[in-house]
Amino acid sequence: MSTDNTPPDSTDRMPASADPAQAAQKSSRRDFLKAGGMLSLSSLMGTAALMAQTDEAKATVEWAEHFQKNYRLMTDDEKNEARIRLERRHSAEYGKKVTVDTSAAQPGVLMGYALNIRKCIGCRRCVKACVEENNQSRGTRPGERIEWIQVLRMERGEFSQEKMNQGYPEGLGIQVGGNAYTPAGQVLEGQYHYTPEAVPEKDATYMPIACMQCEKPPCVKVCPVRTTYREADGPVVIDYNWCIGCRMCMSACPYWARRMNVAKPVLPKDEMNPVTHYLGNRPRMRGVVEKCHWCLQRTRQGRYPACVEVCPVGARKFGNLLDPESEVSLILARKNVFRLKAELNTFPKFFYFYD
Amino acid sequence: MRLISFANDYVRYVLRGSTKFYAWMGFLSVLIVGMMYVFYLQNTEGLIVTGMTSQIHDGLYFANLVFLVGVAAGAVTIVFPAYVYHHDGMHKVTVLGEMLAITAVIMVMMFVFAHMGRPDRLWHMIPPWGIYSFSAMLGWDVLVLNGYLFLNIACGFYYLWAKYTGTKVNNRIFMPLVYISIVWALSIHTVTAFLISTMPSRPMWFHSMMPIRFITTAFAAGPALIILIFLIIRKNTKFWIEDSAINLLSTIVSWCLGLAIFLTMSEIVVELYARTEHANGLYYLMFGLHGLTSLVPWFWSSMALMLTSFVLFLIPSVRTNYKRLPILCVMAFTGIWIEKGMGLIVPGFVPTPIGEVTEYYPTFVEWLMTAGIWAFGFFILTILLKGAIGILQGEISYGSSQAASAE
Amino acid sequence: MNRNLSRTLILALFCNVAVSVFAQEAGKQEAKETVCFESRKGASEITKREIKPGLPNIKCSATTDAVLWYGDPYEGTVPMSKVPLLDKIPEGNAVVKPRTEKLSLVPTCTLACHNGVTPAGFPKHKKPVPIPTMEAMVPEVKDFQHGRGRIWCLDCHHPTKRNLLVDHFGDPVSFDQPQLLCGKCHGDKLRDWRDGIHGKRIGEFASTGKKRWFVCTECHNPHNVQNGAHQRGFTQLQPEAPPQLPFGMKDAKHEKQHPIHH
Repeated sequence: MSTDNTPPDSTDRMPASADPAQAAQKSSRRDFLKAGGMLSLSSLMGTAALMAQTDEAKATVEWAEHFQKNYRLMTDDEKNEARIRLERRHSAEYGKKVTVDTSAAQPGVLMGYALNIRKCIGCRRCVKACVEENNQSRGTRPGERIEWIQVLRMERGEFSQEKMNQGYPEGLGIQVGGNAYTPAGQVLEGQYHYTPEAVPEKDATYMPIACMQCEKPPCVKVCPVRTTYREADGPVVIDYNWCIGCRMCMSACPYWARRMNVAKPVLPKDEMNPVTHYLGNRPRMRGVVEKCHWCLQRTRQGRYPACVEVCPVGARKFGNLLDPESEVSLILARKNVFRLKAELNTFPKFFYFYD
Repeated sequence: MRLISFANDYVRYVLRGSTKFYAWMGFLSVLIVGMMYVFYLQNTEGLIVTGMTSQIHDGLYFANLVFLVGVAAGAVTIVFPAYVYHHDGMHKVTVLGEMLAITAVIMVMMFVFAHMGRPDRLWHMIPPWGIYSFSAMLGWDVLVLNGYLFLNIACGFYYLWAKYTGTKVNNRIFMPLVYISIVWALSIHTVTAFLISTMPSRPMWFHSMMPIRFITTAFAAGPALIILIFLIIRKNTKFWIEDSAINLLSTIVSWCLGLAIFLTMSEIVVELYARTEHANGLYYLMFGLHGLTSLVPWFWSSMALMLTSFVLFLIPSVRTNYKRLPILCVMAFTGIWIEKGMGLIVPGFVPTPIGEVTEYYPTFVEWLMTAGIWAFGFFILTILLKGAIGILQGEISYGSSQAASAE
Repeated sequence: MNRNLSRTLILALFCNVAVSVFAQEAGKQEAKETVCFESRKGASEITKREIKPGLPNIKCSATTDAVLWYGDPYEGTVPMSKVPLLDKIPEGNAVVKPRTEKLSLVPTCTLACHNGVTPAGFPKHKKPVPIPTMEAMVPEVKDFQHGRGRIWCLDCHHPTKRNLLVDHFGDPVSFDQPQLLCGKCHGDKLRDWRDGIHGKRIGEFASTGKKRWFVCTECHNPHNVQNGAHQRGFTQLQPEAPPQLPFGMKDAKHEKQHPIHH
């Protein structure tokens, strides 16, 4: 335990500015100048054409994108090229300066998440914050609205004399009464589309579920092109440009954390978040899978994920597991903690706890 | 030189045909054009034109893919008796089984293309441009399927080539390939079973019975289709397929069908006796969940078809009656297509791993794509079988066309 | 109670109501600005504006008027005063949003009655007595839900300095630092809050990073923390919209059905 009270390097060197856009833009501008001399022909063609603001230009850039390598195998120059290509294309498409961060994992950081299951009131603010931050599709046709966080509403249920003949369980829920001679229900079943006027309701508990950022992610194992992988600081990410859309990862995920872009994502210009990360919230394309990445564009700059910041009851906690003073480390040390489906050998870094 | 004349003769022979032949091929072509249109649609609009969702993201395409891998593997029910038990009737028609295997694998690949979100990036799987992942079952599946395709093309066309040129088959090369292809046939379906049975997130699929269930159903559905094709060939061409071959195939179908039903029943007993939440997929399939019951008729019709055809297959007088046999084969084939397709893939996604219950409604686009790919399969199968029969009967052979054109 | 006192109080109340109503109307006329509440409705609000072109300070929910996204987590904050055992955090890295200016009644109160001297007729002991004027001004205290009858107004509010709270020793506590008061009883919660386990902080996630700390009253209404077991210390909120129904699903009624018919 040599790390004892020293803060992780990342935050020392790169303090999150009040305006995350500023920090990202600063570095990207610098890198852009640095990379200027080493642009390959393809990207030069693409960027030059893009300045002309023609459809042809966009096509050229996309054409170059088609032939880029898997992000993990790219050299720093190639990453810069890919970054510049994306920044140009997205800036033109969304009519504002879009930055695409490519910062790597910092040593000494292992991200972890904890959620106080007793506190959650089921308001779904985290769900919507995630959409605001991460540029998910928000269309109206079925399948065009993507949300990474699901909140389950589960009935509390009760044991009572009147319900003795109503089976086990009665209605939905985890803990209800009755005789045991009729079939058992499900443990992890609940309502997803609940719409009460106000939450929390008296007779319900809530359970938010998103990507657990497993240490042994089954989705990574089944990916035939290795486009999804675990980053050194913890999150499981996707190189959207390399994904072939086979959806094996979606089948393999025990937490239903992955979503499919069945159409070109619907992302209005004014709602688009221009501060992006290559492995994070940059706009996706049709036919690829996406998932929660713990707001890599924020957390790599030292900032809390968006869902943590909007939770009105402070149920969501995020921190560096390697720092014993971080809130998540202290929760693990002090609280009653459990992980969802721990029996599946996935080792999530998302912990549920209760006071 | 001889290779060019082989191709030339083959194409010429295949193109010649009756009005019935052209009507058949024309009908298939219409469906193929439809398929091409919806494929274009899927790759411009996206998979939104299909009924697949983030909840149920494998549908009709994946179901057909899994089923057709079985059909491809089923071809081994001809090759195995022919080369291991030296069954004479089978030996004559081995090459037809290989043609069927080639067709089925090609159809599987087309369903892969239909299924994928980004078929334009398929090269990402292929080294040296892409990355091949040895940890992914899908990677292994692609490997074994392509290997099987190669083996069948090699064995089938080498045999035809030998017949065409009148040379003797070199058994020192040919026989090892045949034996490898027999084992390989098992491997393609085993790996396909592993594809879905290695995921604890989907309890409906997560059991070690899956590979053997896949193989028994494959060895029932495959030969059932082959019997149908043989009977059609016997009726429409001069090529005579012996009764012994057909009878052996129908025996294989009966036993494998029986085993398949036994395994299905075992699964039902095991799952529903304890009735844990892991049985929800099966329960949804059999009875529905939360009042959502769209798969229930599929399941029970499949059970009825399989059970009825099995009982009838057991009666020798019905089994050997070639007027009734096709009906049994169609019943068994359809029953397994449902059981292994819609009945296995879709309930794997209901409920989702976190318990959400939704339903799958395949769209017209999906049905048209599926029909189109099957049409394409029949299209190439017709060509392959016609050519193969021509060569086997000696209607095409080296020198015959030159002689014909010289006349 | 002294008749004069009650008259003064009623006068003060009317003045205050009139002033606040007037102020509200003026606010409405100014511009259609988006004001969104943060954690608890009525506790703290932020007005939406642009930090720079294309980057708003907050994003709001169209359904519930709740803040959904922070462009600037430290907007309008001041350094938090010393909290015991928080000395590892560098100076200025723990900030809070001042709440004193939010308390609209304070100017009137401190002017009219609680101007540093104990008003005439004011109870000399700490035993609870109903104060009709205060109940009229802050209706929720009529059904006071905190401490199950064991505490009342003067256990937390300073008797003479109305813009301050009071701790057990009688020392004043700022409205910006209610944790120093709340922690006197809720010691376990204070400890968890200090370590970031309880409550909410936004900004940088590193344990020594700059954070805006949400204080107790930004999430909990101290007059109404135990209003029914179901609220878990929180006032009920309108939830955001449910997820989209997948293709082919007409409604979500099946979710309320029993999973298995029997």
